[in-house]
Amino acid sequence: MKFETQLETLKNAAATAARFVERKANLPVLSCVLLTLEGSRLTIRATNLECGVEIVIPAKVVNGGVVAVPAAVLAGFLSNTRGKTVSAQLVGEVFKIETERASASIKTLPHEDFPVLPRVSAEKSFTVKAADFVRAIHSVAYCASLSAIKPELQSVLLYGNAGKLTAVATDSFRLAEKQIPLRSGGTVPEMLLPARNAAELMRILEGVGGDVEFYYNDNQLSTQTDGTYYTSRLLDGTFPNYRQILPKTFTTEAVVLREDMATALKSLSVFADKFAQVSLAIEPAKKAMLLTSRNPDVGEQISTVKAAVEGDSVAVSFNGRYLADSLQAVGGDSVRLHSNGPGKAMLIKDASDDSFLYLAMPMNR
Amino acid sequence: MTTTKELWENTLVELELSISKPNFNTWFKDTHIVRVEDGTVSLGVPSQFARDWLSTKFHKDILRSLRTLSESVRTVEYVISRGPKRSNEETRQVPPPVGELPLEAVHQKSNLNPRFTFSTFVVGPFNELAHAAAQAVVRKPGIAYNPLLVYGPTGLGKTHLIQAIGNHFRVSAPERKVYYVTSEKFSMDYVSSLQAGKVQSFKEKYRQYDLLIMDDVQFLAGRDKIKEEFFHLFNYLHDANKQLVFSSDQHPNVIQNLEDRLKSRFSAGMIVSVTPPDHQSRLAIIRSKAAAHNFILADEVLEYLATTIEGNVRELEGALNTLMIQFEMRGQPLTVNDAKTLLRGAGGIQKKAVSVQEVVKTIANFYGVEEGSIYEKTRRKEVVRPRQVIMFLLREDFRISFPTIGEKLGGRDHTTVIHSCDKIKNDLRGDSVLSNELHQIRMMLK
Repeated sequence: MKFETQLETLKNAAATAARFVERKANLPVLSCVLLTLEGSRLTIRATNLECGVEIVIPAKVVNGGVVAVPAAVLAGFLSNTRGKTVSAQLVGEVFKIETERASASIKTLPHEDFPVLPRVSAEKSFTVKAADFVRAIHSVAYCASLSAIKPELQSVLLYGNAGKLTAVATDSFRLAEKQIPLRSGGTVPEMLLPARNAAELMRILEGVGGDVEFYYNDNQLSTQTDGTYYTSRLLDGTFPNYRQILPKTFTTEAVVLREDMATALKSLSVFADKFAQVSLAIEPAKKAMLLTSRNPDVGEQISTVKAAVEGDSVAVSFNGRYLADSLQAVGGDSVRLHSNGPGKAMLIKDASDDSFLYLAMPMNR
Repeated sequence: MTTTKELWENTLVELELSISKPNFNTWFKDTHIVRVEDGTVSLGVPSQFARDWLSTKFHKDILRSLRTLSESVRTVEYVISRGPKRSNEETRQVPPPVGELPLEAVHQKSNLNPRFTFSTFVVGPFNELAHAAAQAVVRKPGIAYNPLLVYGPTGLGKTHLIQAIGNHFRVSAPERKVYYVTSEKFSMDYVSSLQAGKVQSFKEKYRQYDLLIMDDVQFLAGRDKIKEEFFHLFNYLHDANKQLVFSSDQHPNVIQNLEDRLKSRFSAGMIVSVTPPDHQSRLAIIRSKAAAHNFILADEVLEYLATTIEGNVRELEGALNTLMIQFEMRGQPLTVNDAKTLLRGAGGIQKKAVSVQEVVKTIANFYGVEEGSIYEKTRRKEVVRPRQVIMFLLREDFRISFPTIGEKLGGRDHTTVIHSCDKIKNDLRGDSVLSNELHQIRMMLK
């Protein structure tokens, strides 16, 4: 096999593909990307058997072929080279790759064991705007649990109805929900996309404009965008019925500027104890919210944030990080905090936009 | 006819020989046969990745291996399935709770076992006082009896009772903080906080609780620094009207190496004992436990259990479990004779070999008389009673013959020994002080 292509294109493709490769793969060939030359196209395929990606880039093909190249080596070499074009060929079992200034010989692995990526038939599909989808994953994925005890909490729940696609994630301490317009209409059944795979999907879609169509069946979710095919396993499980724990009525509501609160939380983190505890006191009389952070070994800080308050005064403690996390997902200038007093979960919303909500459990102190 | 499970296991052995190990581990992990129908084998695989690859790459190998083992196999189809252990129905049935519950489990770690509640606690004459005191504490925490100390031998539900207080409190006053700790854990916490130089946070941790429950406080004895720390903690919480609940295997006054200041503090609240259940209570306990397992026992077997197993409730449960397993295996009702053979060796407390001298020494110490005087011919009142108790215990617990007892205790006649044993036996009927004393002595001899 022998080909020539744009360095920048190959570099990006290799970097993307390398993220899908498992570092310590059981099957050695899974630590590779598979390069397939056919016609005038180079296809780069990588998978960790959880999710997989296939990127097609144009290339000047001298003669076709297939090769499995260690992903880390290829991506590492390419990321640090300069130039316009790159040419490569397979000599025996060695993959020789050359740019204007550097050349490398990479040992390859037998490619026969490299698996095919699952294809999903186009029967069931839904369409959303790529940018919307990226925002949805970005708004909720950080809430997914890191612990493997409950796999369903390690995932992002996706479902669609009434013209909206909803993304939800929770680790049982906090929960985030984001709704985006469902361009295709209809309903989408509940599916659990592993949060790690969701993050990769988000990065793939980041540069994509316009609509994106997803295909799904009971076990797999796939999408195809400008030359990139992505597929991920869907988790078999049941997401907890989170709607029933969302509070409907509140004793206190406060609206604060997002920037003010984010800055306050950032500076409070200096004084946070190991639980990152931040005490939050909403005081209608002062038209303010007081944020306190105390660490016996360091000291304490009190920040006052101006607030428009309705309802009773309230004092609750939270993990400061959980509060800060919610703010980065809020798009608008101000956030609305809904509380039901100590010991009860607090609901955080974008004041000007109903599509995002965040529920944080307080600390018990 | 081999089962599908065996068929697949044998197939895997075959396949393993023809496929490289990494390939085998990657693709054949978590596979199983779902069903075999009309020569078609449905193979359960974990994901679509595996399904697609197995069917394109290994289909021939799989089919060949299956055929050599079972000639009726004609085709193989692949289905995505989670394996027999985690079927869909199973995961659907238990939707995991989210929100408040798991969160509280982390933030207000009370260390309590939710299994121990008042509703599962069997009340009888032997523990009704303790139960009533616990109820009073639950109603008026910090006011009624503070501290509450429950003591008694092992396996009589002390831990159950004190944890039930905590669990009840947790439900009735969720905003208050409850913590259950064994004295062992308390000591370890203290030591590790010392090593990490974080004594202050150790103090803060324990001083935040509204209800502190400490199990087995007798283990605090003899550890000076920890006792001191405990003493300060006790004072702090008690002054702040926080409820304290303790358990111990002995009355605090007889715990050795415990300072008076601690003893008097324990006594400041309420000290209640749980004693081994009497015959009627044992019967009631066996009945309720058997009923909880839907296990029906003949009356005379119940009677036999209640009579032979005089020890603690835990032993009763153990014996009952033994019978239940036997019953399930045989499928026919058990007779008293069955029970006797099954429970041989289970009845009574296993005694370790204790020499007569040791018994004499312990009891003499207990009553505060000189060991030597027991063997002498003196008839002073303060010596006679301990001597009779010694004879009684040697006879009852150690089954030593009357003449031997007489001989060992300064060459007395066996009739003297018989008289002493009868006397103590008679006295025991109406004398709770004596029975308590005997109980404590028996604990010390264990």
